[in-house]
This record gives sequence, C-alpha cells and structure tokens, in this order.
Amino acid sequence: MWPGLIALLIAVLAAAAFALYRRRVDGRFRTTAAAVTAETSPAERLTEGDLGAPLGRSATVVQFSSEFCAPCRAAERVITDAVAGLDGVRYLDIDSETKLDLVRRLNILRTPTVVVTDDGGRIVARTAGVPTKQSLQAVLPAGAS
Amino acid sequence: MSTETQPEGLSAQRAAGWIDQRGQRFAAAITTVVLAVALVLQNPWVLLFQAVVFAITVVAGPAKGPYGWIFRALVRPRLSVPHELEDPRPPRFAQLVGLIFSILGLIGFFSGVWVLGLVATGCAVVAALLNAVIGFCLGCELYLLGLRVLPSRS
Repeated sequence: MWPGLIALLIAVLAAAAFALYRRRVDGRFRTTAAAVTAETSPAERLTEGDLGAPLGRSATVVQFSSEFCAPCRAAERVITDAVAGLDGVRYLDIDSETKLDLVRRLNILRTPTVVVTDDGGRIVARTAGVPTKQSLQAVLPAGAS
Repeated sequence: MSTETQPEGLSAQRAAGWIDQRGQRFAAAITTVVLAVALVLQNPWVLLFQAVVFAITVVAGPAKGPYGWIFRALVRPRLSVPHELEDPRPPRFAQLVGLIFSILGLIGFFSGVWVLGLVATGCAVVAALLNAVIGFCLGCELYLLGLRVLPSRS
C-alpha cells in the first residue's frame, strides 16, 4: 500500500506544480530583447515574406495555431476583440503546419503562441497560451490607430 | 483563419462529431480516480479495467466511450446546452496515450517489475489529473512538437 500511496502523492504534487507553472506562464507576454536593442537576428524578426502578408502599419500580432489546438480558437477571439478598432495593427493567424521553418526558427513549442512585432517586423513580445485582452493591449503601441 | 477546416456553428460542429468539452473533463475526473485507486492498491485488475475503457474510447471516440456514455446519460441533462463544441481528435489521442501508459503499467505489475507498474500508472494519473483540473490537452501539446521533429514537408 505504501509504495502506491507515495507514488500517488508524487504524481499529485507533480501535477500541481505543473498546473501552477502553467497558470503563471500562460498568456503572459514577455517583452523580448529586440524591443530594446537595435540589432536583431532572424529569430527575432518577421518579414512580409515570412508571413505571406504585409506587416501592420504600427504593429503585427501573429498567432501560431495548429490543428489539434482547442485553446487556439479562444485566443483568436481574444485577439480579434483586442485589436478591433486599432487600424494600424494587423492580426494574422498562421497554421504552424504550413510554416514549420518559421516555427523552428522562432523556437515555438506550443500552440497558441502569440508574437507581437513592431512596424519593422521586430518581435517585441511573445506569449504561449491564451492571452488576455489587457495583456495584449499592454504590449501594443499606445494609441495605435 | 488559415487553419480552417473547422466547422462553425453548433449544428455544423455536432454534425462533424464534435463533443462537449465538459464531458471530456468529467471523463478525465473518473479516469483519475480509477487510476489513483489502481496506483494506491497496486491493483492490476483495476488498471486493466481502465485500460479497456481507454481502448474502447480510442476506437469509439470520446462521446461514445463508457465515461462519455455516463456523462450523456446522467450529467449532461442537468447542464445547459454548450455554446461551443470541441474537436474530438485530441481527446481521442489522449486516450491512446493513456492506453499506452496503462499497458506499460500492466506489464510492470504482472511481470513483477513493480517500479515500471508504479511509474507508468503514475504518469497516467498525472495526465488524467491535469486534464480534469486545468483542461490540459496532452495530445495538443505533443502534436506541434511531433511536427517540428519531422522533416519539413511544406
């Protein structure tokens, strides 16, 4: 009985630790080094060629989705709502399967991963998991219109 | 949205075999309890029962599997109509992962390699518990990682 009980305790603790970690990390934007420095590597910028679509005038929000991804649709709703009315901000939803080279280059491990670039395509913030409207608006250029 | 073969609207989703997400969480909760019992008692028969449930659900789909059936018969009538349904394929894949862990656990218990039995069953408990509590979708997470490993075919 004891080995099983101890195993269960370890399993529950491991699950709890992971759940807490996810709660902290999910949807929280990290501003990247590219936001601060002038130099960027290919891993830190996106071009129109990469995306197959023009960049936004003031910012671009790029969501990496995949087919097996229930949270991706929730993310789509949040982002669409957050950028509504912000004319200078373009929102692109990308199927990771069609852009695996980009996925590897940007080191994307989960979907949804949401990447925010400035007007030059430099990545200024990113998050994994479903963002909140406020957290996204906080990393978009103020008064983007 | 470029990922799209996803049906829009409840009736289209239903027709495509999409499922109520609450049923999935309910099934995961039952699964967690069954696996926890199997783990604590180190009882291979309870584990075998869960393995059979996994196998049936992989084949029949989450809605028609045993726990999905219980959900629809007993729980669903007490709940409001869902405003959105979910792709059944990731939960189905998760059942397959659970089945694999269970088989490893059974091999461990029946062959006397108790560590294998405990670790494999423990992993199954972690996956089911995360699914039940935070809706963690193991299949979803593994899918992209699996894609990345494959050579680019696009």
